[in-house]
Amino acid sequence: MEGEKKIGLICSAGGHFTEMLQLREAFKGHRIFVITYREKATLNQENTYYLETWRSPTGFIVGLMKIFIIFLKEKPDILFSTGSEIAVPPFYLGKFLFRTKLIYLECSAQVYRPSLTGRCVYPITDLFLVQWEFLLKKYGPKAKYVGGLI
Amino acid sequence: MIFVTVGNHFQGFERLLKKVDEISPRIPNEILVQKGYSKYVPQNTKYFDFVPLSMAMEYLQKSDLVISHAGIGTIILCKEYGIPLLLFPRRKKYREHGTDHQVEIAQVLEKRGDKNIYIVYEEDQLEEKIMEAVGRKEIVETGNRGRENLIRTIKEFIETF
Repeated sequence: MEGEKKIGLICSAGGHFTEMLQLREAFKGHRIFVITYREKATLNQENTYYLETWRSPTGFIVGLMKIFIIFLKEKPDILFSTGSEIAVPPFYLGKFLFRTKLIYLECSAQVYRPSLTGRCVYPITDLFLVQWEFLLKKYGPKAKYVGGLI
Repeated sequence: MIFVTVGNHFQGFERLLKKVDEISPRIPNEILVQKGYSKYVPQNTKYFDFVPLSMAMEYLQKSDLVISHAGIGTIILCKEYGIPLLLFPRRKKYREHGTDHQVEIAQVLEKRGDKNIYIVYEEDQLEEKIMEAVGRKEIVETGNRGRENLIRTIKEFIETF
């Protein structure tokens, strides 16, 4: 299908956020929005929704509701995440309630061992990329390696 | 300038901050420290806890050397701007991170032999490595093939449906 799509970029602060910014060019020509944690390092970004860090079950449920409301408003066609755990609830919500396609890039910090987030989203992700070849065997046939950012 | 950064991780990185503070009077370059969640307060250098990423990138681009935990964000940005980077990985045994994955990153980069990256595993080697790094001007490799491939792969996927 040709044309402009709505793409949600989801990641936590720090290296995950830097990795996401490095790949923004991949989404040129599409409308994008970002979901990240509210931290000093992530402030002042365009089209960004901020979640509070999940420190309690209540905080987690509030975060989940917030993501649901964001998705109702934004109607994403695709979700892309560079990790970490912030990706898991929106990926499951997106997949089963909004029929979004999912792209996940395992962080280049994972050299030999899969991350917990990666293992959680691997079964439902449509394009699953790792940044080190060592990880291909650890994940399975769906995982792809085309290169890394570091 | 030498920019020391420990990233956004919730655990502190006291070992690096203390050592840098201790040796800073002997280092000719001005030193700026991002201390993150660390408790240690530098006595001899300028410091801050966190700034927006855009500002951190400005500091980074002005630096002759960046000293960092083996965090991905810093590694990527130093590669992009061609800035020499000295990595000192956080360790699980000192409660600086939940796992020793930063040691794995440092080792895999060491094995690959990136010219712009210096690696130190023990504090007592820091001073010597810093002097070695600031005294050398390396020819910087430009371009990031991995990044280009990732962008192309994602673009192609988006176009397929």
